[in-house]
Amino acid sequence: MKLKSYLKLFKISNIDFSKEIGISSVSLSRYISGERLPEKKILNKIFKLTDGLVDANDFFLSSSPSQDLSEIHKEEIKKMVLNIREGKLKDLAKAITLVESSLKLHNAQADFLLSKLKQHKNSLRVGITGVPGVGKSTFIETFGMSLIDLGFKVAVLAIDPSSKRTGGSILGDKTRMMKLSVNKNAFIRPSPSQGNLGGVAKKTSESIRCLEEAGFNIIFIETMGVGQAETTVYDMVDIFLVLLLPSGGDELQGIKKGIIEMADVIIINKADGNLKNTAEITMLEYKNAQNMISNIREDISPEVFLCSSTESIGITKIWKFIKKFEKIRRDSGSFYKTRIQQQTKAIWRNIILQSQDYIENNLKYKDSVKKIIKDVEKNNFDVNNASKIIFDSILKRNT
Amino acid sequence: MDRKKLYKGWEEQASKELRDKNLEDHFWETPEGIKVKPLYTEDDLQKISHEIGMPGLPPFTRGPRATMYTNRPWTIRQYAGFSTAEESNKFYKEGLKNGVMGLSVAFDLATHRGYDSDHPRVVADVGNAGVAIDSIEDMNLLFDGIPLDQMSVSMTMNGAVIPVLASFIASGEEQGCPREKLTGTIQNDILKEFMVRNTFIFPPKPSMRIVADIIEYTSKKMPKFNSISISGYHMQEAGANQVQELAYTLADGKEYIKSALERGLNIDEFAPRLSFFWSIGMNFFMEIAKMRAARYMWSKIVKEFKPKNDRSLALRTHCQTSGVSLMEQDAYNNIVRTTIEAMAAVMGGTQSLHTNSFDEALALPTKFSARIARNTQLIISEETGICNVIDPMAGSYYVESLTSSIVEESQKLISEIDEVGGMVKAIEMGIPKMRIEESSAKRQARVDSNEETIVGVNKYKPTEKQEINILSIDNEEVRKKQVSRLQKLKNSRDNKIVESFIEKIKNAASSDGNLLEICIEASKNRCTVGEMTSAMESVFGRHNLSTKTISGVYKNTVKNDGKIDIIDNELSKFVNKKGRRPRMLVVKMGQGGHDRGAKLIATAFSDLGFDVDIGPLFQTPEEAAKQAIENDAHVIGVSTLAAGHKTLVPLLMESLKNNEASYIKVICGGVIPPDDYPFLYDLGVSKVFGPGTNIQEAAIEIINLL
Repeated sequence: MKLKSYLKLFKISNIDFSKEIGISSVSLSRYISGERLPEKKILNKIFKLTDGLVDANDFFLSSSPSQDLSEIHKEEIKKMVLNIREGKLKDLAKAITLVESSLKLHNAQADFLLSKLKQHKNSLRVGITGVPGVGKSTFIETFGMSLIDLGFKVAVLAIDPSSKRTGGSILGDKTRMMKLSVNKNAFIRPSPSQGNLGGVAKKTSESIRCLEEAGFNIIFIETMGVGQAETTVYDMVDIFLVLLLPSGGDELQGIKKGIIEMADVIIINKADGNLKNTAEITMLEYKNAQNMISNIREDISPEVFLCSSTESIGITKIWKFIKKFEKIRRDSGSFYKTRIQQQTKAIWRNIILQSQDYIENNLKYKDSVKKIIKDVEKNNFDVNNASKIIFDSILKRNT
Repeated sequence: MDRKKLYKGWEEQASKELRDKNLEDHFWETPEGIKVKPLYTEDDLQKISHEIGMPGLPPFTRGPRATMYTNRPWTIRQYAGFSTAEESNKFYKEGLKNGVMGLSVAFDLATHRGYDSDHPRVVADVGNAGVAIDSIEDMNLLFDGIPLDQMSVSMTMNGAVIPVLASFIASGEEQGCPREKLTGTIQNDILKEFMVRNTFIFPPKPSMRIVADIIEYTSKKMPKFNSISISGYHMQEAGANQVQELAYTLADGKEYIKSALERGLNIDEFAPRLSFFWSIGMNFFMEIAKMRAARYMWSKIVKEFKPKNDRSLALRTHCQTSGVSLMEQDAYNNIVRTTIEAMAAVMGGTQSLHTNSFDEALALPTKFSARIARNTQLIISEETGICNVIDPMAGSYYVESLTSSIVEESQKLISEIDEVGGMVKAIEMGIPKMRIEESSAKRQARVDSNEETIVGVNKYKPTEKQEINILSIDNEEVRKKQVSRLQKLKNSRDNKIVESFIEKIKNAASSDGNLLEICIEASKNRCTVGEMTSAMESVFGRHNLSTKTISGVYKNTVKNDGKIDIIDNELSKFVNKKGRRPRMLVVKMGQGGHDRGAKLIATAFSDLGFDVDIGPLFQTPEEAAKQAIENDAHVIGVSTLAAGHKTLVPLLMESLKNNEASYIKVICGGVIPPDDYPFLYDLGVSKVFGPGTNIQEAAIEIINLL
């Protein structure tokens, strides 16, 4: 990090800092502007004082091609934010595209955009998961329409699995949410996951913020219930719904046990026609099992419901419970506390993602790293030492 | 089939002729999974598993009638509907003067879906792909001067089957023809609608009840009328292979029998009035074998229900030459294709036949193309001598072997359906739909990689452009006319009586009254098709279809001849520039339910590496625009078959513009007359693709466009 940015971030004046190092503030200004290079002793002091955030490279290397946005781009984004607030779908959709993009420029634009968004404490973020065929979309269609009737604005983010081999996706969610998809108080955006589940999660939580800015106050995040996406989605929602089919245990249905344990609401869906009895038995089984599962939430226990999205059974009861859940947790303060904890988790998640990205797209292609690996292959070098040296290079500079 | 040595002497001779080539390479497997040898002999006849028998006698493999064409050739029945009742009436009369023996009515999409012409959802659908019928008044015009007691009338109607059949019966009686004397067929085959054609209105359960209502009513009151035409046609059109077409159609038939029996009917009361409908494609011998296998298998299926009358076992069928085999490129070739297909239908022993007009890949037939289509049948019937011998293919080593193979392969599929508990269940699970879409994607991949030849399309392409005159319809004009006629009807009728009938229909729907019976009276009292439908809808609800798609099949079947590499390369360039894959929204706007093209595009493009969004069926242009904007698609692919593009595409472009989203590109594909291309380009459409487009080439073009 450049010294100038460091001082700005930690709100330290040039004079105070120069006193700490024991130089004149004029000299400090020269170091900052790049007119002069600090000598070794000074560099060491700066390194220590800044907890390693500012090191020698920050003075020796000229600034890398800046990720800073041009003023034109900034103006565009500011206008976009205004339009999003006014509820213009086009700008909201474009914002989500920026968030999801793999381009550096788009990411910088997205970062700038996110910095302009407000915190929307009144929204409710609802995670919904279940295996394919359990009826998630139909459930959201029925549930979402009833929420719109109550005056809410409903958004749906659907995470689709990309085909691993070719990378393209087929996104057919809206065919199962016909009424919701044409309603002007609803916004549905299916996203191809591009095989990077963690990455999608990062993008999803940023998309949520865009939707909230546009006035959507109930936001559904729909996932498949079969992979690791759910745990990351769990860490960005206020309440987590798991949909199950009547009959069979969770293993039989192909849903991971850990996912059931995260559920705030278990919904036995398709409890209609001749599946009604089976559904009731399944409900009882889960109710009994549920007692044994340790509660994740300290202030309210999970509940099990029967539901038929086609016959609109159970929707009212589920909504009642969600409202109760929300109220209890808002009153106790745990609702917002969880969101804050989620933010901390998000920081670490992002760091891990960036490291992975750096390793995959940068580190692996460095000549020195390639040489070390070749040496290991030829048994000229041992694995532990090799990993240590490569990791050391991460600790140094990336540029 | 074991690969044991064919006739020894022959094999040596053949190997000599083949020189360095291998005889083994001449054994091949059809897309249906049937193994075919280069030579069939007397030995093969010993191994067949079906019974050949005699024509007119069970199991009817050789035909439902003892005399077949020697006594009377098949009925030349040309399916047509020309926007308005008056126009269609003119066309029918013209046909009847020129050798057509039975009428076949095509209805417009609004009618199929039970909407009157003044409904806001059908602005682009009125008069498209057939005639608009809003009430008995339109029926009266449609059959004006055509005596219904002498003319058999076939009606392709499934969704709005009750109000349309009711209006037909009522119109007949106003003309002076009592219902007992009406002859003809109502398609009334709702199961295949849920499977492939999507022209349904109500959910499966009430829909099956309606089928049973009609079978019950006609079996009692209309003895000369076919209560149902169990159709494989649309399955083959949607990409099914012949074995799938046969198996799923027979399985549908079985389901209808069960629901009629549940109604308390006796099998012999209705089984003789069940009829079938096949598509006849270019696979000549396979089609003949399919038709023979069908008759054999149906007689076995019906036998399980213990009929006393042998006529219950006989399968009678209508055939139509394949629509998907028609190509836009080098369109005159279609005359030849249709001729070959018509020959197969005749060799297979059809009872009636529709031959397609060569320009149907471009538009609705003109007077000229309709005449050639008609004459194709007349020439086969009257110039070739084919009609002089009954079932000339019987005993052919190859055809009989093939027939047996088809019987065996279809039996496997039927058993699969039986195992899950019948066709309704299988459809709910999406089994037949998935299998058919798989076949469809495989076929496209074979054509795209030149493994299957289509002359003028992927081989021997014409160098010069041909000018073909085609029929164009002003669909807005038709709508205005219909709307004003509706207005007149609503002003002149007794609306109190109408309301009382609406109540009666609702009551019948929620109890077990016969809906057809009550709707006949309602039609006579000037209830409209839309009103009767929405009365039933208020009880049954309207069915929504969730679109399921397959993936991977296209990519696995297609051969990489370098185009795939080009696409991969273009795609990664695109991603590096735009930060994501090209995203395409495939939409089917309007009331057309044929989604084979849209599905195929969706699955193939996603296999090739696009992100593909699919729009729900029956979308309006505004809804499509909203979806494209929300999903931030780069391009909207409009799939159109039913001439709706002239109304729908302008509305879509306008809707994009109103939302400041003209940055989204629009491309069109499907049956679009070349004359309309300039119109679409003027609107701002970026590219128009016709039938027979190579998907990989299209993908490259689209990437470059973006």
